[in-house]
Amino acid sequence: MTVLAVAVKYLRGRFVPSGLTVLSVALGVTLLVASLLLTRSIREGFIEGTTDYGLVVGAKGSPTQLVLNVVFRMDLPTPNIVYSTYRRLLDDARVEVAVPVALGDAYQGFRYVATTGAYFAASPWRRRVFVISGGRFFQDDALEQPTYEAVLGAEAARRTGLRVGDRFYEGEEQAEYPLTVVGILRPSGGADDRTIFFSLPTYWQMNEVSRKMKIKPLTAILVRAKRMSDLPGLHRGLNVATETQAVFPSAVLLDIFNLLSAAEEVLTAILATVAFIVLLYLFVSLYSATLERKREIATMRALGARRSTILAIVLWESCALATLGGAAGILGGHGAAHLATSWLASRGGLVTNRFPFSTLEPMALGAVILLGALAGLLPAVLAYRTEVAENLAPLS
Amino acid sequence: MLAACLWLICVQPGASADGQEIPRLTFAQLVDSLRANFDVTQTIKSYSGKEVEIHGFIIPAGPPDLSFFLLSRVSAMGNYCCEVPVGQDETVYVYAARDVKIHYDPLRVYRVRGAFEAGPHTDRVYGVSLFRMRNARVEEAVGAKIFRIGGP
Repeated sequence: MTVLAVAVKYLRGRFVPSGLTVLSVALGVTLLVASLLLTRSIREGFIEGTTDYGLVVGAKGSPTQLVLNVVFRMDLPTPNIVYSTYRRLLDDARVEVAVPVALGDAYQGFRYVATTGAYFAASPWRRRVFVISGGRFFQDDALEQPTYEAVLGAEAARRTGLRVGDRFYEGEEQAEYPLTVVGILRPSGGADDRTIFFSLPTYWQMNEVSRKMKIKPLTAILVRAKRMSDLPGLHRGLNVATETQAVFPSAVLLDIFNLLSAAEEVLTAILATVAFIVLLYLFVSLYSATLERKREIATMRALGARRSTILAIVLWESCALATLGGAAGILGGHGAAHLATSWLASRGGLVTNRFPFSTLEPMALGAVILLGALAGLLPAVLAYRTEVAENLAPLS
Repeated sequence: MLAACLWLICVQPGASADGQEIPRLTFAQLVDSLRANFDVTQTIKSYSGKEVEIHGFIIPAGPPDLSFFLLSRVSAMGNYCCEVPVGQDETVYVYAARDVKIHYDPLRVYRVRGAFEAGPHTDRVYGVSLFRMRNARVEEAVGAKIFRIGGP
């Protein structure tokens, strides 16, 4: 009988304690893996969901609020800027594309975004492509003749159940101005999936206050410079102006990531504590098992088993427990992360839901086995040093 | 003798992690190298393909993983501190080697090392540029001097 076979036999003999030890290791590893995958998923969700445009221009105020609202459809809209700011940017020789957006109300929680057809235009520099899965895009209508046509993001269409041709509104005030669905977008993997788009004239006409305003309001303008090197100049000019601020969306996200990294450090400390507790449990389990079977070990020694064989049996046991727990924990961690991101995504959170196995998993499993072996080392040494004469003495 | 002086003015060598000397370029040198018709001097072109070091402020004009960003003499945040760079000559387009793991601070100077390229180039996503660094590595440059008083 090989050393491994003896170790497995021992573990089977102590099925319940061994199972509980595997479960505790698995739970610890699940927590570690799920936390790491979730953190990465949230970060990647923001990175993938960000805009292609170099600058977001809005009213003076919080840059974070501006980007979270305009790019990620979170938080509240910042105060308005005037339409002429957009006209000025269009006339600026440094600007390649300027896209006006106005945000305000929502239908069943899906934000309205009023914009122009330029928002959906394809370009070599754009990572995101907007494709209609059914119907068509709304028309860039005239100010006096809004068409009240709406295009729905894929998630907004799925969750509201609206289809092409349906008419809808939310709130008494907008009952006079129902929107008609003319198109539904294919999923694009960003906040646009959860958005309802229509034209600026439609937006201005739907709202009582903007209907009366001579100078029409906007929430923000997305800007692409002809040359990236012109961005700092544009940024400075718009920030020095009294009414506007310009924000690099990535700068805001990096600030958020900096805040997240502080939280990650705390999480790392908690996870390290969890890992230590799991190791301690593994150690206590093996140690008590070794104490319990000193007589068996002494018998094996008396029958000719070498000290090194006894040491190897206990080490194999600890490695087997760690391997089973580690493998189950890695699978459990992936499962838990998948469930958590699905739940977060259903609540409008920006997360990626891809957790491919990489070199990280084998490395993590290797680390768990190594730590398991480390936890089993002292019990193994204890077993190694078991004296035959002392432990084979009559129990009475 | 003249060539040696020119070399000393243009290059401030710095030690890399593996002990090799990496020439350091300054924004002043980049500005001085600009010639008519979007051309640059042979001196600055001679660094093309070589590893160089440039100190500057990060302007995150690309994606938030900082796989691409602009390196500038001036911070994007200091609205009233100094003249903002106005053209290609004072901006380096940086393509990072891999995900940049830094604590981003718009008011901090970073040391960027990578393969230098000089001369006009058009990128599908990031457009026309004059100076670029590829496979760049980024780290904080503690105590770095951007403005060299009396320097080139």
